[in-house]
Amino acid sequence: MTTIDGSTVRKLVVACDAGMGSSAMLAGTLKKQLKKSGVEVVHSPVAEIPADADVVVTHKGLAERARGVAGDTPVVPFDLFLGDPAVAKVVKAIQDKAQIDV
Amino acid sequence: MSEYTPKVTGTGAKAAVQRFGGFLAGMIMPNIGAFIAWGLITAIFIEVGWWPVAQLGGFDGHTGLVGPMITYLLPLLIGYTGGRMVHGTRGGVVGAIATVGVIVGAEGTPMFLGAMIIAPLTAWLLKKFDEAIEGRVASGFEMLIDNFSSGILGAAMAVGGFYSIGPVIRTLMQWAESGVGFLVDSRLLPLASIVVEPGKVLFLNNAINHGVFTPLGAAQSADQGKSILFMIETNPGPGLGILVAFMLFGPIALRASAPAAIVIHFLGGIHEIYFPYILMKPRLILAAILGGGMGVLTNVILGNGLVASPAPGSIFAYMAMTPRGDHLLVLLSILVAALVSFFVAAVLMGFGRGEKDDAAGELSDAELSAHTKESA
Repeated sequence: MTTIDGSTVRKLVVACDAGMGSSAMLAGTLKKQLKKSGVEVVHSPVAEIPADADVVVTHKGLAERARGVAGDTPVVPFDLFLGDPAVAKVVKAIQDKAQIDV
Repeated sequence: MSEYTPKVTGTGAKAAVQRFGGFLAGMIMPNIGAFIAWGLITAIFIEVGWWPVAQLGGFDGHTGLVGPMITYLLPLLIGYTGGRMVHGTRGGVVGAIATVGVIVGAEGTPMFLGAMIIAPLTAWLLKKFDEAIEGRVASGFEMLIDNFSSGILGAAMAVGGFYSIGPVIRTLMQWAESGVGFLVDSRLLPLASIVVEPGKVLFLNNAINHGVFTPLGAAQSADQGKSILFMIETNPGPGLGILVAFMLFGPIALRASAPAAIVIHFLGGIHEIYFPYILMKPRLILAAILGGGMGVLTNVILGNGLVASPAPGSIFAYMAMTPRGDHLLVLLSILVAALVSFFVAAVLMGFGRGEKDDAAGELSDAELSAHTKESA
């Protein structure tokens, strides 16, 4: 279990295989949702997750690779590219500055 | 959800294959803009194009843009990118130098695969050299050592590539081309879908398409003006059929998200959007395989091909990369693939009746309705 503290998240990384398609799409959505929270949302290839990421979200098919790259940074896997509850939970925790376990 | 339990390492077999495939695709994908530029210039200005211009299209004794772009520009970009992935900008520079040796050593064959081998290798050697001398360079000599190590290694690898990798890859490419030719002539190519479609939904889509089909297809297209290899992984038909089946017959909680997914998949070309739908109902992979295979068969029978890789696999990219005059035939292959996968998916989902009996391991309706509520 890893705990994410929503109030300390400054940079959220959306990772996919190439870092160009699905991650760019989801990052666009999350950017809008997190605009007011002042969190930087970026997308990247799963092999090049930036070291200063505070939390990484990626499809569960890629989560194993993401964890190998992300080190101690929490990786949140999700099932659906549209409206996934795991992603929604992270967004809500950041908005409410709350803690969640992942 | 148990999926949240972190695994410590990324060393599983699936991750290893994904990582290797991702490395190959990573050399190609940042350069897709250049492939598209080449594809557009080819489709418009060659002798059989929309607006033939000899000086640009390269006929009537002119060099044109088409040949130099595919012979030099694209492999050099791939070599630079591949080198940079291993060892930053220094790696990119020596990767590009070594790539020239391979290009010239295999005249007449676009050297994508050669670039994908020699550039990372050269960058890796430079990285090892840099690590070996780290901390041992006398103050003030850093720039001299840096520049000459790149220059000497790059020159050596360009000469080595000219004599070794260039000719070897040219032979391999000739074998690959005749192998593909055999598969097309004997109409066995549709069998590729048995491997390609399951690979796709396991997120090997870029590895398969850009690691394998884009380099082989570009060589064939440079030779014959179009290639069917660009149409095997990229056909948006199977995904479309499956998403439409989900919209009509899928679990009720998932039906609402399908229309948006259709737009993102078919118009936007982000195929990843439909993978989760198959991963949730794994038997639907059969619909993707049959739809994809029938799409390929249609293309084999009609002799279809695209000028360059349609990336992303959107209907717009497909149409842009279709040779003049072939648009209806190409659309037909997408339609066949979509209809077959739609019908198979609809049968597999019992036309909406069987969804309650789904076996364990697939998401329950309760979980699914939680999805849609939060997405609303």
